[in-house]
Amino acid sequence: MSGDWLAGKAAIVGIGHTAFGRRGEFAERGTFAMACEAVVTACADAGIDPSDVDGWSSYSDDAAAANQLAMTFGAKRFRYAAMAWGGGGSGICGAFLNAAMAVATGQADCVVVSRSICQGEGGRFGQALAGVGGGGLPAPFSFSSPYGLMSPAQMFALAARRHMHRFGTTVDHFGEIAVNTRRMASTNPAARFREPMTMADHHASRPIADPLRLFDCCMESDVAAACVLTSVDRAADLRRPPARVASATMGGPYRYGEGLLAGHQMADDDFASAGQRTVADDLWGKSGIRPGDVDAAMIYDHFTPMVLMGLEDFGFCAKGEGGAFVADGHIRLDGSLPLNTSGGNLSEVYSHGMTHVIEAVRQLRGDAVNQVPDAEVVLVGGGTGTSPTSALLLTR
Amino acid sequence: MSAHRPGLPAPTLSVLTDGYWKAAGEGRLALQRCGRCGAHRHPPTAACYRCQSLDWAWDDVVGTATVFTYTWVEHPVHPATVDYVPFNVAVVELDDTEGEPVRLATAILGVDRDALVVGLPVTVDFDPTGDGVALPVFRPSATGNR
Repeated sequence: MSGDWLAGKAAIVGIGHTAFGRRGEFAERGTFAMACEAVVTACADAGIDPSDVDGWSSYSDDAAAANQLAMTFGAKRFRYAAMAWGGGGSGICGAFLNAAMAVATGQADCVVVSRSICQGEGGRFGQALAGVGGGGLPAPFSFSSPYGLMSPAQMFALAARRHMHRFGTTVDHFGEIAVNTRRMASTNPAARFREPMTMADHHASRPIADPLRLFDCCMESDVAAACVLTSVDRAADLRRPPARVASATMGGPYRYGEGLLAGHQMADDDFASAGQRTVADDLWGKSGIRPGDVDAAMIYDHFTPMVLMGLEDFGFCAKGEGGAFVADGHIRLDGSLPLNTSGGNLSEVYSHGMTHVIEAVRQLRGDAVNQVPDAEVVLVGGGTGTSPTSALLLTR
Repeated sequence: MSAHRPGLPAPTLSVLTDGYWKAAGEGRLALQRCGRCGAHRHPPTAACYRCQSLDWAWDDVVGTATVFTYTWVEHPVHPATVDYVPFNVAVVELDDTEGEPVRLATAILGVDRDALVVGLPVTVDFDPTGDGVALPVFRPSATGNR
């Protein structure tokens, strides 16, 4: 393989997170204190003192600001700070790209990627789309919210329906993703939802926005998580086996705009998609790694249809064949592409993708609760339906 | 049944968008059209996606369309919609526009749940929200489009 220029230069050497709470559960602790706990936990895992962290990277306009983190931990040097664009979890792998680039180019020695979600303090996601935050609707949403189109579930339902129309995708295909993800969570003691789920349970869950039902939608959570990155050379001297950054990309398809949240002008194939066709093309193209090389995938699962479309975007199956791909059992633990092996957004916790990255690291370390034997290459897909989205390839 | 259900947010007008809403208030569906290459575009933007020109003007379009996709909202996210669910939201693709297909998010009024399908021919109507502004909505076309 040719290999991305970035490959083999930076690695994730520490992972950490707070307890997983329901939305609002940690309101009294607050966003910043939660972020600090995640940073301390991740640094302890790495064996690095938080005062030696000299770079900070986040996404989704995270409220725990880099300068405040550096001051709080008495950072000896503060060299680098980056924020990836994009809402929700779309920018997460971009945040890892920014961190890895900083390490690889010598801008910083040790960069923490963090995300802290405390909706009791910071407000509930999606409320701005409903125009209840004061100040009127954000301009793009003036063309959707007045019709009552104002929640991500509704907006992604439009893409799901288009995919069903074009390719014969069914609600059973969506259900397979929910059931499989719950099966993964059932053996994860940390997962918030572990009770078994059957296809009948999925179909009996209450309707949210046709064709989506409750069990097609992820939970809401209060959680903070962090990962520590440093050079591969330095990683060799640290406590834990490194998860090397093989490649990372961010971007979005032609005319994707606000994505499915408020834009509908992209090509038809990109409308009925997770919007990850271009980040996938760039990822495979730069890295020389192919979909068939991937041992496990952490695909962003805020809504089940977006997983199915993400599998297509990343080329694990042809466009339109995502339904058959999941129905054939490929995403199960014993399948060709074990998916979201800790339970994902749907059943473990909703951390805007941080726990997807953390699970990828665990798979490469060999200590995941649902371990894929000898996992060497793991894909992480960032949040979908918005732009820019992002993607990350990690190797052992 | 009104599409602009009381309690839902009204559009925020701006220099870039007020022509769209005011045209609807006068019973016209007007889109931005590039002053150089003639491509229509929506939602309003400062430049043409096709030729990058900054020149544009409002242009009335025919107002027939085809349903591209839809959802029936069952869970009332917004408190104002508690009494309205289930209601539909659709994306329609407009007929007779220049350039790449132009799609609008909208509501399809006067349609039963079983009759709302992808490909349904629809025609624009206007639902006043006050202050001379209206929301473009659509209804099934009486005889199909063309």
